Amino acid sequence: MSRLSERAWGYLLAAPAFVLLGFVALAPIGAALWLSLYRRMPVFGLDEFIGAANYVQLWSDERFWAACRVTLYFTTLSVTAELVVGFGLALLLDRLTSRSGRSSPWEQAMVLLPWAVPTVVSAQIWKWLYQPDYGLLNYLLLRVGLIDAPIDWLADPDWAIHAAVVMDVWKTTPFATLLLLAGLKALPQDLYAAATVDGAGPWERFRRITLPLLMPIVVIVLVFRTMDAVRVFDAVFVLTGGGPGNTTETLSIYAYKTLFQTLQFGYGSALATAMFILVAGLSALYVVLLRRHFQESA
Amino acid sequence: MDVATKSRRHLGRRLPVILAGVVLSLWTVAIVGCLQGGEEPASSATVLIFKHGKLSGDATVLPGLLREFEQRHPGLIVREELLPASSDRQHQYYAMNLDGGSAPFDVLAIDTIWVQEFAQAGWIGRLDDIVPMGERAAFFPSAVAAATFGGQLYAVPWYIDAGMLYYRRDLLDRYGLMPPSTWDDLVHAATVIVDAEQDRRLSGFVWQGKQYEGLICTTLDVLRSYGADLWTGDLDQAERGLQFLRDTIAMHKVSPPSTSMADEESTRHFFGDGQAVFMRNWPYAWPLLQRQGSPVRGKIGMAPLPSVPGHAGAPVLGGWLLAVAEQSSRREAAGELVRFLTSPDIQRAIAIQLGYNPARRALYSDASVLDARPELMALYPTLLQSQPRPVTPSYILLSQAAQPEISALVVGRKTPRAVLDAVRRQADRYMGGGAASVAGARQ
Ligand SMILES: OC[C@H]1O[C@H](O)[C@H](O)[C@@H](O)[C@@H]1O
Repeated sequence: MSRLSERAWGYLLAAPAFVLLGFVALAPIGAALWLSLYRRMPVFGLDEFIGAANYVQLWSDERFWAACRVTLYFTTLSVTAELVVGFGLALLLDRLTSRSGRSSPWEQAMVLLPWAVPTVVSAQIWKWLYQPDYGLLNYLLLRVGLIDAPIDWLADPDWAIHAAVVMDVWKTTPFATLLLLAGLKALPQDLYAAATVDGAGPWERFRRITLPLLMPIVVIVLVFRTMDAVRVFDAVFVLTGGGPGNTTETLSIYAYKTLFQTLQFGYGSALATAMFILVAGLSALYVVLLRRHFQESA
Repeated sequence: MDVATKSRRHLGRRLPVILAGVVLSLWTVAIVGCLQGGEEPASSATVLIFKHGKLSGDATVLPGLLREFEQRHPGLIVREELLPASSDRQHQYYAMNLDGGSAPFDVLAIDTIWVQEFAQAGWIGRLDDIVPMGERAAFFPSAVAAATFGGQLYAVPWYIDAGMLYYRRDLLDRYGLMPPSTWDDLVHAATVIVDAEQDRRLSGFVWQGKQYEGLICTTLDVLRSYGADLWTGDLDQAERGLQFLRDTIAMHKVSPPSTSMADEESTRHFFGDGQAVFMRNWPYAWPLLQRQGSPVRGKIGMAPLPSVPGHAGAPVLGGWLLAVAEQSSRREAAGELVRFLTSPDIQRAIAIQLGYNPARRALYSDASVLDARPELMALYPTLLQSQPRPVTPSYILLSQAAQPEISALVVGRKTPRAVLDAVRRQADRYMGGGAASVAGARQ
């Protein structure tokens, strides 16, 4: 026993955790990958190994590429907006609460509320807000004169995806706000004091102190939100069901319909695997960026 | 080491804590969600679970009929479990729940388009003895055809649907117009009335244009009135039909842009609020539009859908059937419930009290039915003419692939030709090789 090196001991002790992680995280991914090599359609009693044929089909599937475009468009817009708005709110809340020394539960609750409401419920609420004739949004816009005829937000192929983005931003900005606020609270105040003494203005302080110090949190927000946005399902599904003309069909909606509406398990798994690869690729990108950032600043 | 790096380290140490908090709260939400599934009380009687989509109209009618069934069959209790009214959503539910090989219900109401698929998959059992061969002619032949798989009956027609044209009789009268029998007449009448009425809220013609099963139905109604079809047949004529669909919105401007999100219920509300001259919808809307307090009560009429001169149109057959889950352990009792709910007496009650159209033909000349619903007399020939959507286990594959294409046409993102090219290619894929050939092999 004692001949085992410390390192080996470490691995040995960590093994159960690795195995557990393997089962929980990797097994389903592996299963989907395996299934994607089959043509499995239970309705027709089909279950045959077809190698990469599903991926070949995927490659020439227009609907798949359209779904990729919609997904990336949705992700870019919503994650950017969430980060910017979330940062703004976090700074504001930090300001508000630093004077009193602590934040009131009311403020926290207000910020968190959209995040706490189940997505299906908030999507339904937004569907009403977007309603062309009775919806609040058109009413307000008409009232202030920004538009002169009601817009049918969800029926218009140009507006629909943006309507989904707005809803998603409303819903998940609190997540960004909360993480960034926690980060802001942890920043050392003496740095700001020193910077002020040196004559740095608010913008300088933000750019030279707040932003770089908060970078790790920003990246975490980006990683979390990107992964969620790439996999977005319920928000869009409830609002539009993927329509009109598939202009809001994200990868997960396509995969969902393939798997659970038409029970094409093999092809659906190939779609799911493609989505996994996309998420993994984007996360890898963030990790590289983060690493470079740390190396540069060290 | 400068101060900034030091405090970044400091922050770095806190990060795991923040992350752990986030993950933990997500888990809690998930677990609480899982714990909320209800448990049912134990009972000595046999409980039959009857799964069906929400019916419109008086919600006490069906439960009343089920209590009657329980009285006639002591020891049986029927529990209803409702699904949302949308056909697509219901199909998702069934596909997910029946695929595992077990069924958490005994009797189910299924759309005409699913019988082949469900029978092929072995999800529903044969019902030949419930309606023996000799009695099948009592039902509409198209409905029986849709319910027959491999020569055997797998579901019993419960109520029947066919696309109809609803019109505002008062408005047509005001301008001396007749209910249109061609699409040109319809566009003309709609344009004249909307122009003259000077009512900003009034539209000409509303129909179901959302990306869902109802869009396929409307499209087929129109295409068949052009003597064409979607997946087979003459391309040029089909192109004209699809172009007309888009033109109602883009060129004639008789249909509002919101058509691309419209389903049965939204068009019914629209028309029911007096905001449209014409509407395509199923017969279920009639009693709802005519009930006490409806703004259009007494002002409307119903006719067969218009067609194109030289072509005899045939409306799309819709409707729902009752089936028994193959995996049910109470199949005999379940069969009794199907027999009861599709019997002439119960169909009469449903027709009179709920306004759904009986699947049994004799009821269209039944005095008490016609007394309550005189419009059924005129409806009968149309129902008799109705043609099903493709009767094949691959139907859902076809429909799901075609829906986005036609929806893209409706919003002007695709031309009729491009849509037809895509849809025909899909038909080759799903009906040509793979699935269809295997479909035969399994029986
Ligand atoms: O929305 C489409 C559905 O509408 C109606 O419920 C019809 O009865 C059904 O056959 C059709 O599939």
